[in-house]
Parts: sequence; structure tokens; C-alpha cells
Amino acid sequence: MRQVHSLGIDLQDGLHGRKVPSAARRLRRLLAVDGVVLADLDGPVAVDGRQPDPQESEGLLAQVFEYGSNARARLADGTSVCAVPLTVDDELAGALVASGDPVEADVEAAAALVSDCLDHAALRRARARIAAADLRTLRAQISPHFMHNALAVIAALVRTDPDRARHLLSDFADYLRYGFSEKGDYATLSEELEATQTYLELQRARFHDRLDITVRMAPEVLPVAIPFLVVQPIVENAIRHGLERKEGRGHISVSGFGEGPLCVIEIEDDGVGMHPDLARSLLAGTGPESRSVGLANVDQRLRAVYGPEYGLVIETALGEGTKVTVRVPRFTRGVVAQ
Amino acid sequence: MISVLAIGLVVVTSLVIGVYGVRAARSTSDFLVASRRVSPTWNAMAIAGEYLSAASVLGLAGLVLKNGLGTMWYAVGFAAGYVAVVALVAGPMRRSGAFTVPDFAEYRLGAPRLRKLCGCVVLVIMLLYLVPQFKGAGVVLALVSGTPYWVGVLLAGLVVSGSIAAGGMRSATYVQAFHYVVKLVFLAVPAIYLVVHSSPHTRSEALTPERGTHFPEATPVEFTVGTRFSLDEPVTVTVPDGGEVELAAGEHIADAGTEYVFPEGATIPRPEGLPELGGERWSTPLLDVGGYPLFETWSALLAITLGCMGLPHVIMRFHTSPTARTARRVAVGVIALLGMFYLFPAVYGLLGRVLTPHLVLLQGTDTVAVVLPEQAVPGTVGAVLAALVAAGAFGAFLSTSSGLLLALAGGLSHDLFQGSVPRLRLAVAVGACVAVLLALPAQMTDINVLVVWAFTVAASTFSPLLVLGIWWRRLTLPGAASGLVVGTVTATGAVGWSMLLPTAGGWTSVLLAQPAAWTIPLAFATMMLVSRLTRPPDWAEHAVLRLHSP
Repeated sequence: MRQVHSLGIDLQDGLHGRKVPSAARRLRRLLAVDGVVLADLDGPVAVDGRQPDPQESEGLLAQVFEYGSNARARLADGTSVCAVPLTVDDELAGALVASGDPVEADVEAAAALVSDCLDHAALRRARARIAAADLRTLRAQISPHFMHNALAVIAALVRTDPDRARHLLSDFADYLRYGFSEKGDYATLSEELEATQTYLELQRARFHDRLDITVRMAPEVLPVAIPFLVVQPIVENAIRHGLERKEGRGHISVSGFGEGPLCVIEIEDDGVGMHPDLARSLLAGTGPESRSVGLANVDQRLRAVYGPEYGLVIETALGEGTKVTVRVPRFTRGVVAQ
Repeated sequence: MISVLAIGLVVVTSLVIGVYGVRAARSTSDFLVASRRVSPTWNAMAIAGEYLSAASVLGLAGLVLKNGLGTMWYAVGFAAGYVAVVALVAGPMRRSGAFTVPDFAEYRLGAPRLRKLCGCVVLVIMLLYLVPQFKGAGVVLALVSGTPYWVGVLLAGLVVSGSIAAGGMRSATYVQAFHYVVKLVFLAVPAIYLVVHSSPHTRSEALTPERGTHFPEATPVEFTVGTRFSLDEPVTVTVPDGGEVELAAGEHIADAGTEYVFPEGATIPRPEGLPELGGERWSTPLLDVGGYPLFETWSALLAITLGCMGLPHVIMRFHTSPTARTARRVAVGVIALLGMFYLFPAVYGLLGRVLTPHLVLLQGTDTVAVVLPEQAVPGTVGAVLAALVAAGAFGAFLSTSSGLLLALAGGLSHDLFQGSVPRLRLAVAVGACVAVLLALPAQMTDINVLVVWAFTVAASTFSPLLVLGIWWRRLTLPGAASGLVVGTVTATGAVGWSMLLPTAGGWTSVLLAQPAAWTIPLAFATMMLVSRLTRPPDWAEHAVLRLHSP
């Protein structure tokens, strides 16, 4: 059983992984034959033990690939060679060749095992691709909201305060460059703060300056790499759902500090707050349609990047304001700001 | 009383800075200010503040008094360590994005298991470094408030873990920079005052030591621990009940609790194993504890210089710099700030030999900086000066041990177990408890001996890992792991052996007490040899390239 399990590990990068030779050796031991050849559609990729005559094995492989069925041949020294196709997702992907009087049924079983391993490898690669694509989709989802609001604000100001409108428009251009940059998936906290500043500038225009802002940042967390657009959507949420409905002035504070190996970012507003159940459903992605984008999205991305224990923490109650806490490790392998 | 107030003031101020001292911005344009990186000057001050521990503020002056001028090599090593950091690791470490050494190990070799191993080494180094800090805080607190030593240590543990729990390290940069200023000013002002106001005779005697120091006045000496000492000439001392005891020349044993009043002008008895104060061995500018000065000096220098780069709480500070260039500029600034600071322990040590030589007899030389001002300048001024030094020393303890405790807790909760915030707080509490427990029996051990132990372990483990990881593509996972194990076991074991078990003396005991000269090469050799035998990971080339490309 251990051999079979190790075979799966050896083949986890597919037929072109680093450990394929070791997989061939395991197969030869499992089958108790003289030699084993693992081949993809272009020819042998790994050989262990006795190597059959190249011409002979090429002919055998051609036969397997042409008919997609087992092939057997008798060598000059009287022993026999058996070749069985490997299939991934019902498509021919290679062949397993065993030499030295193998039992055909055994080779077939081994080939089925290898096929399964290759299948798993392909699935694993696909899963990683999907996760990456998910991240990009989530990132793209955020922008339209904000773009619409920003343009509406600027449009409203164009006549009454053209100077400010021009200023905001250039801020907005900076923001877009940040949001749409193709450099990578991560930015430093200080870059993220600058983008948030642009956003708040636009929102203040909309609120006719009845918005107070406090920022407290411990300088040592500024260079920490975080996923793009983590702080801004939370701030956006605080304004849209906390402060917009509140009478009078609103206050929002953003603070960041280090806590040992963690970097903590807190976004707090004194708006209308929400029912804790609503907050829970928002994070679960089951909240009302109109509010489901921002927080759940950030939460999912944080979990995807750092692991399930690093999701958002929301503290809130009706009429009591909202505090959202982001905790991320200061260093995670693969998370580097470009 | 003034001292207790001064210490309380330092604690409260740093707590306030730590919790509220983060840059606050109230308008959107302040956002840009808040998001700008901190300047190299602040950063350098913060690093120097965290680095200057009780070992530098208290321990160094004590060692100069006790073991002689050669111990100033420790100061040279502490400052020179930053040259090694600038030259070898500051820039690349910053480019890797790694925050701690375990992070770096994971970045470079990509194995969670190695991360765990590094976490264990972090624990060993941090504990070895924390214990002397608590010891220093314990003696200072005991001295200024008159409580027993264990109360002082316990109090120190409560203060530091309480201040971390209250958020006192949220804005670590500003707190540590503040502590640097506290340490420098509170140590420099009394030192300068003492130099200016001491008599010309004292000054000349401090600079040109005579053989065999004498008691400057009739001095009561209370032995808190049993001490073996020898006298060169007979002396008549007074005991508390008024009687007189004639001590003959030769060996004597004073039991704990014995109290003698030595008359003015009597020769200071020499405790066993120590050089004669002001004698030839004391004045030779080489470290000489076991009889092989050149080897000991080199070994200690190597341990401290290379150990500096391996200290977990030092390396994480360079992450704050925006570019590799500023990272190096910061490190150069640190060297200047440290150099300035280390002038003052020497002053205390030299004046201490003239004015408070009896501390050697009491095995309490670590307190010389606090005791000296009161001895030299009686009255209120002396008390104020002593309060300043005590507060400075406590500041040193607070800044270093907060940094260390957080690094230790981070290692515990993040590298060894999957971390969460309650765990981090728990880890701080656990770390403080263990350090306090270990500090309780360490009252008689010199602060610097323990600190150099921590540096030796760091130099024999993380320094090869960082140097080879940054500069050698062929480093492999098994190589790094075996080097770490060999380095930890040999360095910890050798010093531990020489401290806890009796040694025969001669070369063996020197090699055990100052093992850096052989453990560091051994760790390097193990890493390289095992790496040669195994295959480096596929991404090694890429990972090393990223460390060096601008």
C-alpha cells in the first residue's frame, strides 16, 4: 500500500514532473518485472531496469497509440514485452511498457493506477488555475461600483466647482491606474492607503465634507504586502452602508499596527451599524443582493491567499457603528508586492 | 524613591507613545503623510533602541570593573555586528520580503518543517537573551526599591507583559526610538556630570590604574552570597556588633550574611578567579577569563559580530526600509548611534574601579552604573543621577525585552503552531513566565555572559543559514537543517556545560566557555558538506537572483 501511495506522490506533477524516474522504479518493483518504461505521446520519459531495444519499443508504442489498446511482443531472447495505454480524462496520454514476461492483467491494473494519478495531477493543476482566476474575477468585481459612483460625483461637480472636479478626475485616473495595474495581485499597505485616500477624496465631495477621517498607521507595517483592494472596499462599505444613512457628521478611522508576526488593519465607523446576523450572512455570501459584493469578496480573497483563519472580523450592532478588522501575516510565501 | 518614580515615568511614557504615538492623520491629505515610510534616522534610532539591552547599559560597565579593560571588546563586537549586517544581509533580506529568519528559511528553501526547526532555534536564542534582561531589571528594581531580587524580577515580568498586552508595542518604531534617547541621555548626563565633578585625583587614577586598589573610605561590605577571596596583606575589619576581626593574608571564605567594615586605605580583597583590579591582567586590552586572551578575544568577537545578524529581532527591522539603499543607510546610522552610546559604559566601569571597587567582592558588578552616582556624589544630586541611570537601565530592559518577547511569541504562535491572536497573547504570557522562572536562579550570573551565549547560538545557527542562503545557490534543505541542529546543539551545549558543570580548566574550559571559534565554522562546514551531497531545490537559482537583483 505504501508503494502505491508513494507512486501517487511521485506522479503529482504529471508525466513531466521531477520524480517520474522514481515512479518508474516503484512500478517495476510492484510488477516484479525486468524493466518498465513510462512514455508520453512523444516517446519514453522514464526508464527503469532493463531497456528494451529502442526500435522494438518504438514499434510497440506506435501500435498502442494507433489502436489505443494493449500490445504485446516477443523479444529475440524469448521474453515478452507488454505495452498498455495510459488515459487521462478518457484521452490517450501515454503508455506503460513492462518487459520480462509480465502478467498482462497486472500491467493493465498498474496502468489504470498510473492513469488515475495523472488524472489527479491534471485536476490539481486545474484547481490552482481556477483559484487564480477566481482571485482575478473577485478583484475585477469591485471596480464597477466605485467607478460609477466616482463618475457620478465628478459629473455633479463639473459645473459648480470645475477646479475640484478636475482635481478629482486626476485622482480618479491615479486610482484606476492602481486598480487596473497588471503588475501582480499584491500591493504594499502604503500603496493601498494611497488608493483609499483617492477614494475618500471622492466620497467627501459627495458628502459635502460632512465626513471626518482619522488615520493611524504604525510605520513598520507600511511595507507589508497585502492583496490589491482590501482596505478600500471595506472603507467603501463603511461609507455606503454605515455613514450614508446616518444623520449629521460621520467619522471613519483607519488604523494599522503590528502585532508580532501579524499586521492588523482596523476600519471603524460611527454609522448606523447592522444586526450581527446580517454581518454573519454578509460574510457567508448569503446576504441581500445589493450588499453582497464588498465584504464577502474581501473575506474570500483573504482566505484564499492566507488560509481560512485569516478572514475578516466584523464587530457591529444596530446603531453602534461597525468595526472591521483585517489580520494578515507580515510575510507569506508567494505574497510579494511588485 | 526618586528612582522608582523615574522608572514609573519611563514605563508610562513609553506606554502612551506605544498606544497613541502612531502617526495620526485627520484629513485626507494627511493620508499621504501617514502612508509615507518612516525616515532612516527614526528607523536607525529605533533599531539602536531595541538593540541596546541591559547587557550594554548595565552589564558592560560591570564587566569592565570586574574583568578589566579587555571586556570593551564586547562593545566593539556589538557595534561591529552591524557592519556584518550591512555587508551581508540587510539589502537581500529586505528584497526577499521575509520578516523573520523562519520566513527567510521558508522563502529560500520552501519547507514548512524547516520553518518549525527555525522556530525552535528562535525560542532558544530568545530565551537565552531574555533571561539576562530580566536579571538586569530585577537587580535594578531590587536596588532602588529595597525589595528582594525575586520581587524585582517578577515585577519586571508583569510590567513588560502588561505593556505588550495594553498595546505598548503597536507603534514599535516610535517606542524604540524614544527608548534610545532615554538610554543615551539617562546614561550620558550622569556620566558627564561624574567625570566633571570627580576630583582630579580620581580622574587620573581612573585612567592610570595602580596595582591593587584600595578602599577610598571606610566601607561596609555585606556579603549576600558566600564568597571566597584572598588578601595580600593582613587587615583589621569591624563587624556589626562593634568588635574587630583580624583577617590574615591569604584565603578567606565569607558566608552569606557576613558583614565587614573595611577601613579606609585597606587593599581590596580579590575574589577567587578574578584578576587583580588595576593589575597587569586587568589592564591588558584583551578578554582574559580563562588564560588564553587572544583566542578568547577572537572567539567572543566572532560570536557577537556574526551573532548580531542572526538575532531574530534585529533582522526584522530592516523590512521597514523602502529600498535596499536606505536599509544600508539605516544600518550605518545604527553603527554611529551605537558607537556614541558605548562611550559611557566605559566611563562607569573606569570610575567604578576607583570609587566602588567593593562591588567585585559582592559579585554585584552589574549594578555599578546605578550604585556609582550615589557613592560619588552624596546627597540629592547623587540620588537624582542614580534615578536617571536606573530609569535608563529599566528603559533598556523594557525596549529590548518587549521586542524579544514579541519575537518569541511570534515564533511560538506563528512558526511552531498555526497562529491566531489569542495564541499570540498567550505566547507572550508563557514566554514572560519562562523567562522570569529562568531569571530567578541567575542572580549571580553576569548579564553579559548570558547575552554572549545567546549571540553565540545565533552566530552558530542563523548566521550560516542567512549567509549561505543569500550568497550560495547550492544550499539545500537537508544541509540547512543539519547545520542548524549541529550549531544549536554544540553552541548551547558547550556554554551550558561550562556554566553548570565544573570544568578542568585550561584549554577545554576555554573552548567550552567561548565556543564560537569552533561552533561557527562547524555549522558552516556541516551546511556546506550536507548541501554538496544533496540536490538544491529547482527554484534556488530564481530565489537567489531575486535577493540580489535591484
